[in-house]
Amino acid sequence: MNTDVIITKNISKTYGTGDIKVHALRHTNINIKRGDYIAIIGPSGSGKSTFMNLIGCLDKPSSGKLFIDGTDVSQLNENQLATIRREKIGFIFQKYNLIPTLNALENVSLSTSFAGVKNKDRLKRAEKLLGMVDLSKRMLHKPSEMSGGEQQRVAIARALSNDPSIILADEPTGNVDTKSGNRIMGILEDINNKGETVIIVTHDPNIAKRAKRILKIQDGVVSEENA
Amino acid sequence: MLKDNFNLAYKNIRERMSRSILTLLGIAIGIMAIISLMGLGEGMNQAVTGELSSLSDTIIVSVGQGLDIGSIFSGGGLDETNGEYLTERDIADVKRIQGIKKVSTQLSGGGILRYNSLDVAASLTGMDVNVMHISYGIEDLESGSLLEIGDQNKCLIGYSVAHEYFDSDIAVGSRIKINGEKNVVNGIFSQYGTGGIGSTDDLVLITSRDFKKITGQSNITSATIQVYDVTNVESIADEIEQVINENHGEDDFVSATTMSSILESIQNIIGIMQMMLVAIASIALVVASIGIMNTMLTSVMERTREIGIMKAIGATNKDVMLIFIIEGMLLSIVGGIFGILLGVFGSQGITGLLTAGPMAGGGGGMSLTPIISIGSIGLAVGVSLVVGVLSSLYPAWKAARMSPIEAVRYE
Repeated sequence: MNTDVIITKNISKTYGTGDIKVHALRHTNINIKRGDYIAIIGPSGSGKSTFMNLIGCLDKPSSGKLFIDGTDVSQLNENQLATIRREKIGFIFQKYNLIPTLNALENVSLSTSFAGVKNKDRLKRAEKLLGMVDLSKRMLHKPSEMSGGEQQRVAIARALSNDPSIILADEPTGNVDTKSGNRIMGILEDINNKGETVIIVTHDPNIAKRAKRILKIQDGVVSEENA
Repeated sequence: MLKDNFNLAYKNIRERMSRSILTLLGIAIGIMAIISLMGLGEGMNQAVTGELSSLSDTIIVSVGQGLDIGSIFSGGGLDETNGEYLTERDIADVKRIQGIKKVSTQLSGGGILRYNSLDVAASLTGMDVNVMHISYGIEDLESGSLLEIGDQNKCLIGYSVAHEYFDSDIAVGSRIKINGEKNVVNGIFSQYGTGGIGSTDDLVLITSRDFKKITGQSNITSATIQVYDVTNVESIADEIEQVINENHGEDDFVSATTMSSILESIQNIIGIMQMMLVAIASIALVVASIGIMNTMLTSVMERTREIGIMKAIGATNKDVMLIFIIEGMLLSIVGGIFGILLGVFGSQGITGLLTAGPMAGGGGGMSLTPIISIGSIGLAVGVSLVVGVLSSLYPAWKAARMSPIEAVRYE
């Protein structure tokens, strides 16, 4: 089996039609190895979020091929993409994006419910993951009853619940204080040390420096930056 | 999975409590209307059927166009025969038809009543005692009792006869003379009031035997026939018509009406009424389902981000649709259950209003109890399920089509 968990072959993403085409990402060829720890940096509007949407299978490239864990996802339909997201990708968002009406345990076990895992097994796994991010005592609290750092840790547990191939974190420390941010980075690095591929999108050069590899995006072009 | 969807739906409904309650109320009112109106219709149906089905072995033969519904219980309206009567030969022929258990005739003709030395002309009706018991009940009388088999020289008189024909009122036990024959008033009918075909107000009712004895005539206006086997009642009725019409050389001299044919036409009328009531109630339900759709659409708009998140973490379009459909279904099922409860009590209330109100007048005496059948409850549950699913389909579809990118968009 290929050790590259993400392979992009000349992918481009263009928005709009006719004269007002926006080239958000141009002819990108990137390989990401399993177990890698990558930071993606770049100013606003550089194509960072486009790139992330593509490798997160939230969007499809306009041209080129994209392989996630060996599967070409560039031709998949919406539901097939949803399945890939569910099985291969764990998202962590800047604004946590927990479901406000559900408590921590329910939030963490939600994506496994889409996967059709048995109730008992799901809850057991969710409990374990919440224990891992040190939130065993807050399992039954709703997002609104938690601090930003706590919510982000719930989000990390949720991202791990399907045992994904890639953890994709979009500004994971963007909304929390420095201390919580460090803690979150520590957890992500622990996960990486256990062999998980972790990709972090960030503005913060200090966060980016912690990664093993930095990809810089400018005007839709992805380039390697030597750490 | 399904359990989680219900959990999610329940929490969302609770999150938007006041809105959910209002939506739910809409459905509840719609279902209540259907349940109570159907119950009322069914109650009406059963009340009529109950009164008539005990007479299902009975055929009423009368000269002319036959019976209308109003005259079945009265007998008093049968004397407008334009001077044409059934003959003894007709009755004898009818008795020869196979399967007939009993033939009772009703006679009518004019007579003179004398009370307190005052003479008044009146129309007399002669009936066999058993027919009298089919036609009238003790509840039709304001005082006294019906005649019994073997009674002689006893009569029942109408309200007007008792209270208006003479200078002074006639009471039960009074003696009056009919064509010079002494008779004791055994009972007096209650005021019928509205008049019309079935009115008992001008009735002077005596036994068939007394009628023949007093008038010397046997003008048979109608005959009440009982058959052995209820299943043959229609064919026997046809045969009776044929035999009597042949005797008189006319195609439609007589008509033989069975209770079941009357029952059928009454039930048809009630059925149409019931359908109309339900159709009206359905309007409320349509409005309610628009309410659900509206609520669900608003909910979808508000939860754009949430939907995006769910899709980002792996919910397929089907998963998202299911979440919203279940939510709509839950709303309308709970609404439906409240509606059923309201309907059960509501129909009692409507009945109360009807029996206390102006419609209760007259001598109907038919008690209307709403009947809420398991069927109509099942129907209500089914309808609310369907309404819930249908009205949340479009919002759910809109939700499912949302892009997951919404959730990860930079602020």
